[in-house]
Amino acid sequence: MSYQVNGTTVEHDEEGYITTLSDWSKDLAEVIAKQEDINMNEEHWEVVNFLRDYYEEYQIAPAVRVLIKAVKKTMGPEKGNNKYMYELFPYGPAKQACKIAGLPKPTGCV
Amino acid sequence: MSTLYALLYYFATLVLVAGLALKIRQYAKTPAPLKIPTTPAPTTGGGVFWRMLRELVFFESLFKSNKWIWLFGYLFHVGLLIVLLRHLRYFTQPVWFWVEWIQPFGVYASFAMVIGLAGLWARRFLVERIRYISSPSDHLMLALLLGIAISGMMMKFVDGTDIVAVKVFFLGLMRFQINELPTQTPLLVHLGLVALLMIIFPISKLLHAPGVFFSPTRNQVDNPREKRHLAAWAAELER
Amino acid sequence: MAPLDDDSKKNDVRGPEGHPLEIPRLACGAMADLKSYPAHPAHQEALGFPGELIDNWKEVAIAKIGDLASKNRAFQVYLDACVKCGACTDKCHYFLGTGDPKNMPVARQDLLRSVYRRYYTFAGKNFPWLVGARDLTREVLDEWYNYYHQCSQCRRCSVFCPYGIDTAEISMAAREILDTVGVGQKYCNEIIAKVKDIGNNLGLNPKALRATLEDLEEDLEDETGISVRLPLDEKGADILLITPSADFFAEPHIDGLLGYAKVFHAAGVSWTLSSYASEAANFGMFIGSYENMREIALRIRKAAIELGVKRIVFGECGHAWRVAYSFLNTLAGPFDFLDQNYPIPQHILEFTYNEIQKGTLKFDKSRNDEFRMTYHDSCNVARGSRMGDMPGGQFEIPRAVLRAVCNNYFDMDRDTIMESTVCCGGGGGLLTDELMDLRTKGASPRMKALQQVTKDHGVTHMAAICAICKTQFSKVMPKFGYEMDSILSVHQLVSNAIILDGQESNPDGQASIKDQQEADDNSATAAEE
Ligand code: SF4
Ligand code: SF4
Repeated sequence: MSYQVNGTTVEHDEEGYITTLSDWSKDLAEVIAKQEDINMNEEHWEVVNFLRDYYEEYQIAPAVRVLIKAVKKTMGPEKGNNKYMYELFPYGPAKQACKIAGLPKPTGCV
Repeated sequence: MSTLYALLYYFATLVLVAGLALKIRQYAKTPAPLKIPTTPAPTTGGGVFWRMLRELVFFESLFKSNKWIWLFGYLFHVGLLIVLLRHLRYFTQPVWFWVEWIQPFGVYASFAMVIGLAGLWARRFLVERIRYISSPSDHLMLALLLGIAISGMMMKFVDGTDIVAVKVFFLGLMRFQINELPTQTPLLVHLGLVALLMIIFPISKLLHAPGVFFSPTRNQVDNPREKRHLAAWAAELER
Repeated sequence: MAPLDDDSKKNDVRGPEGHPLEIPRLACGAMADLKSYPAHPAHQEALGFPGELIDNWKEVAIAKIGDLASKNRAFQVYLDACVKCGACTDKCHYFLGTGDPKNMPVARQDLLRSVYRRYYTFAGKNFPWLVGARDLTREVLDEWYNYYHQCSQCRRCSVFCPYGIDTAEISMAAREILDTVGVGQKYCNEIIAKVKDIGNNLGLNPKALRATLEDLEEDLEDETGISVRLPLDEKGADILLITPSADFFAEPHIDGLLGYAKVFHAAGVSWTLSSYASEAANFGMFIGSYENMREIALRIRKAAIELGVKRIVFGECGHAWRVAYSFLNTLAGPFDFLDQNYPIPQHILEFTYNEIQKGTLKFDKSRNDEFRMTYHDSCNVARGSRMGDMPGGQFEIPRAVLRAVCNNYFDMDRDTIMESTVCCGGGGGLLTDELMDLRTKGASPRMKALQQVTKDHGVTHMAAICAICKTQFSKVMPKFGYEMDSILSVHQLVSNAIILDGQESNPDGQASIKDQQEADDNSATAAEE
């Protein structure tokens, strides 16, 4: 269970979340996204970067609502909503975007 | 033959009584660590008494669940109860008045039993879900009960048995004397199967009879906030 | 065959979608290969279990059956008492959804009962073929793993069994046995390890929790124009609110949390959350581990003592309320240090309902007019707990609150609600992505019942009071023709309708306070009827 990025091997778990968070790189994100059938564009990166910054500070991904509020601020209300987030990440901004951003999967009843 | 049956009955009674006593002791001694009544449940002991009574007298949960199983199960159990009570006449002298009183219903009850058993057995073949969960013992149990019922009815309707002599035999057994037992086939079959039933009772699914009284989802009072429930082994953890 | 086989009756299809409880034909082995991910050694060990399958697993598993039977009367009696009557066979939503006969409650029990018989009963030791007894083998162990993780421990079967046999008890015991020999499930065990480490299922540390709450306070102020607080770790507050951590993270859960905050605000009570006991959920129940369940429950006791609160109130979470209502006193009591004038613990809906009865809350029901509502009874609340003083309060109180805040409320088919409620399909530790196929199929009875009221009454949304139900429905509803936000928190609707003192009133559509109270009175009587 691993991704191949630029000749290096990055381990991931059963569900595709990388096991060593420091293994993450932009190229890896592209690789994971491809596997998830996502073509990373600017908006995707916006979300991924926000998630990584938030994680850096709080060691956990933000609540969807917090994410959406942040997106609203930078991309405007027509993109800062749940629906748009799911257009970007069909399997959910929390789980799918976290995977691409190299963060652990949110656990629990979410 | 009489001695053989006498010994068989002593053995069967011993197994039944001792086996059930052991099982009941096991159930009673095993703690229920948590409050798990299936709610909505009564909030008082009196309420639980009524809940259990409704289960025992009407098979309430089964009625909610499946009308066919309820119908056949109920016919069988009520029939069995009346037939059993009627059989008390073979063990009492003088016969209690209320046993006399139900005497005439015994015949109908035996038919109810047979219909109930036949219905339950038919479902084991006809309904694929129940066919799937049936093991050989489930079929044999029904065969055994039907055998008992039909051999009993044959004694009444086909091959008149000297039931006075049978009664003398059983009253004798209760006083530890062995009297002569008549030897008609239906009687011997009937008595043999009943003894077999008594023996397998404590080691088979017939344990549902004592089990129903000890089912925590039914017999617990719904008062966990008011009254702290603690099993002995769980109390140990608090040391 | 027809007259004896009552199943045929149920095949009279109501509408194109079919009857919610329609019985499928058997599909043997349909779900045999569905296996949830096994736990990692680190998580196993954090819970006090061996990291992986131990060498002498067979002896240990057999001994564990005996050990559990001697410590738990339900387990012992239920292993013995089943008569294979078949009354429960069509009661499990996973059977209804998959047709796999091993998802019939009695068949699920038999997976373990057959082994119990082989090693613990006279008949099984001597005549195994006669009574369906079998040796414990690796295949049997794998089968346990797969099918005991296809039971949401919803207890629907126990309602309908003549002896009250509760398959949930069997599946909890089975999971405990599996854990004991080293093969736990990743989803549950990783989460329990997290609770022990950080205090909640999510892994939300105090700093992140505080930031989230502050963010939500901002939202509340933007929305209402007044300051409504979400206090954290405030010593001396009257009420400690214990709520599922999903309420800090997911939609529609968060809207429910905002609802609690508004109700507390309007009721004028002081309250606090705890960063140490920041989780209502207690997955110790799902894995049948008394010790783990107790350890998690004790965090709540400790937080209550340290914060010096007088009362404990639980937020919207189904199995958490079962653990709280039915087990908390046992696991972490006695709570003699709390105010004995209030139920210990109390459900947020009991609290809100009481405030509505007292008349302290003001609502504008029309704010929920865009929703035509129905209500999903969560299994653990419905069949494993109570609210209020009367049996069945767990059905009446949520409905009374919904009727007090919404104009359009309709119940689903009576055979699929209240004590007969059908599970959302994701309970009992199954809310994990690799089980999505099972979750979708298991949700189908509930979804069909919903489709009926959509057809008959134009119902658009469903409310629930369980974090698992809410997440599960938001994932599966789109597969049944609804939106992911067609599932709402009950307190989200309360939040929408409540009018706080000092709040800017909405000029159109806003009833005067007097009208409002009259409307409330009417709906209160309607709810009682
Ligand atoms: S309803 Fe109860 S007794 Fe009947 S088969 Fe199911 S578990 Fe066994
Ligand atoms: S507890 Fe629920 S999920 Fe488990 S077997 Fe019974 S009905 Fe099915």
